[in-house]
Amino acid sequence: MSAKYEHLYVVIEHEDGKPVPVSLEMLGEARRLMNGFNKKYSANEKVVALVLGNNMRRLCEELIFYGADAVIYVDSPEFQYSRNLVDTKVISQVATNKELAKKFSDASNFIKPRYMFFAADNIGRQLSSTVLADLESGLASDINKLVIEDLEIKHEHKTKGQAVKYEKTLEMYRPDFSGFLWTTILCLDNRNPAIEREYHPQACSIIPGVFLPIERDTSRRGVITDYIPKFDERDLRVKVLDRKIVKSAVDFDSCKAIVSFGRGIKDSSEQNIKMVADLAQALEAEVGVSLPISKKPFAVSEGVSSTYMIPDRVIGTSGRKVAPLLYIAAGISGAMQHIAGMKESGFVVAINPDENSPIKDECDIFIKGRMEDVIPLLLEELRKQKPAIEVKK
Amino acid sequence: MSDLKIAVIVKLEPDFSEGNVSYNADGTLNRAETKSILGPHSAVASSAAFYAKVKYGARIAVTTMGPPIADTALQQAQLLCDADELHLYSDRMFAGADTLATAEVLKTGISKVEGGKMDIVFSGHRASDGETGQTGPQTAWKLGFTFLGNVIDYNVDMQNRVVRARRMISLQGFYDVIEEVEAPLPVFIAIDPSYKASFNTVSQRLAFEKYQKEAKERAQNYKQYLKIFNAQQLGVDPKLVGLPGSPTIVYKVERIPKAKASRKAEVVDGSSRDQIAKVAAKMYEVLGGMVIK
Repeated sequence: MSAKYEHLYVVIEHEDGKPVPVSLEMLGEARRLMNGFNKKYSANEKVVALVLGNNMRRLCEELIFYGADAVIYVDSPEFQYSRNLVDTKVISQVATNKELAKKFSDASNFIKPRYMFFAADNIGRQLSSTVLADLESGLASDINKLVIEDLEIKHEHKTKGQAVKYEKTLEMYRPDFSGFLWTTILCLDNRNPAIEREYHPQACSIIPGVFLPIERDTSRRGVITDYIPKFDERDLRVKVLDRKIVKSAVDFDSCKAIVSFGRGIKDSSEQNIKMVADLAQALEAEVGVSLPISKKPFAVSEGVSSTYMIPDRVIGTSGRKVAPLLYIAAGISGAMQHIAGMKESGFVVAINPDENSPIKDECDIFIKGRMEDVIPLLLEELRKQKPAIEVKK
Repeated sequence: MSDLKIAVIVKLEPDFSEGNVSYNADGTLNRAETKSILGPHSAVASSAAFYAKVKYGARIAVTTMGPPIADTALQQAQLLCDADELHLYSDRMFAGADTLATAEVLKTGISKVEGGKMDIVFSGHRASDGETGQTGPQTAWKLGFTFLGNVIDYNVDMQNRVVRARRMISLQGFYDVIEEVEAPLPVFIAIDPSYKASFNTVSQRLAFEKYQKEAKERAQNYKQYLKIFNAQQLGVDPKLVGLPGSPTIVYKVERIPKAKASRKAEVVDGSSRDQIAKVAAKMYEVLGGMVIK
């Protein structure tokens, strides 16, 4: 007998005919989780990729190679670009469609997916919110670790204080803004008789760049199912008039060096940022920041603030992943969320007065000292040595 | 005064600015010692609403869900947008709500208190503490309003009652896209942090000054504009709000385990010129420089 809630649905994002990398990363993690799930519970639940697009059949085949058991493909010219309203409507239709689930499983009792993944990017974050509002279930955002477990829960509201076993519960780990704490979110049915209610799917948005895709395997086989969406004029009331591709003014990809700063600038923030900028200039480097800096915690002049303390410069899981030849972390303690964004760098130099800060384990040279003392000295030396050195372009 | 009606959803958040924010020794936020203010994204949403007041003479209600002290967030928002009304949805029953249960209160508040006649509802991009960015779109969906996220600027075609907005979308591994969209009112706009209002005509600048002056006066006497609603007055279903109405729970909070050292650092004394000189040489070497002897 099939369950009311089964399978893991993954909402795929694509651009210009290609999957956005996080889509394949989500499929990879979904594959690993469901392999473990099916083994542990002797089950046969599927990884189901959900694609809204136009002329994207080739992409659907690729998704099978990357771990999907089944792909539900909704083709329409209306899906050329993502639009929250109509996308939400159609994803909800698909997620609650038993006939579709029957194409790749028994599904005789199917009501909704057991689990659901979205990308934690500009599109997926909003789409996950509206879809889960429509499906009236729980959603955790910005997840970077997932575990499926049977848990015994005692909760004032969920279980009226009684110990209740929740099987096949998705533990969704999200790093908090500091990068030092991990919060585990669960989406649980209310088993308390006074407020009894079932909450499925258990859903989350997943941080790009965290999970690994599985290796592309062209021998993998799966079912591609078409779905004809139902929508009307009202669902299409948002019109995309124009779409312009812009390149970020901050270019981390083509520079050889990056100088980043964090909360360590605090003693004289304005001067320290200018000093970091000088150092970057001397090395022809781009300037990066840690996540807390983008919240503008320091009062500095408007020019400095709008040039440097901006989300565009954030390096880490909430920002960009970089891999320059040389990475200099000035006044950065090294929260996990930052490390994830720079660990692929070639050579890492940290400037920090505290030898116990985690960045020490992530750098090749640890300069112990306050940045206001170290950087002027370093700049002097860099300038002194420069005439004798020719930097290859 | 036009007939454009606007609601702004704001949030009282920890103040992350230096001198106000306090961190524990382990790097986590010390909530007890950290002051609370109007969240920075809420401030941007308020500024976006003020633009409609200056340009279209919109009527503005600022709303929040929170404890009684959250009225300070309403006051700070009023100073930014010259709000005509301030609404606080406050009840012990709302405590501990996740985004879905919060959206239920905000939806009920906006549709009942404001009579469901809103043309535009603004929210910030995400809160600085929770950082989910889910409450805005979920409130929009429950209201049945068109949701437009990451909006960097907007204008209203008052005659056709249509919003034109530009959205900034970042795509991992691709490029950024600026998308121009059009949607009939009512809409829900989550405003991007990069939003900046600009006032181009003389009449707009005059209106700007007039309303800004008015905002200062109003915010000084903000309690005159403040109405507080509890769960019963809002008429929310107790099963759909607060902890009982939240599908999700926080199961545990733990310190993220320190990763295994991935590099072995050479420790250098930052006050030693000799050692720093060697670091400088190493930097040039890494960058592919060649020493010319």
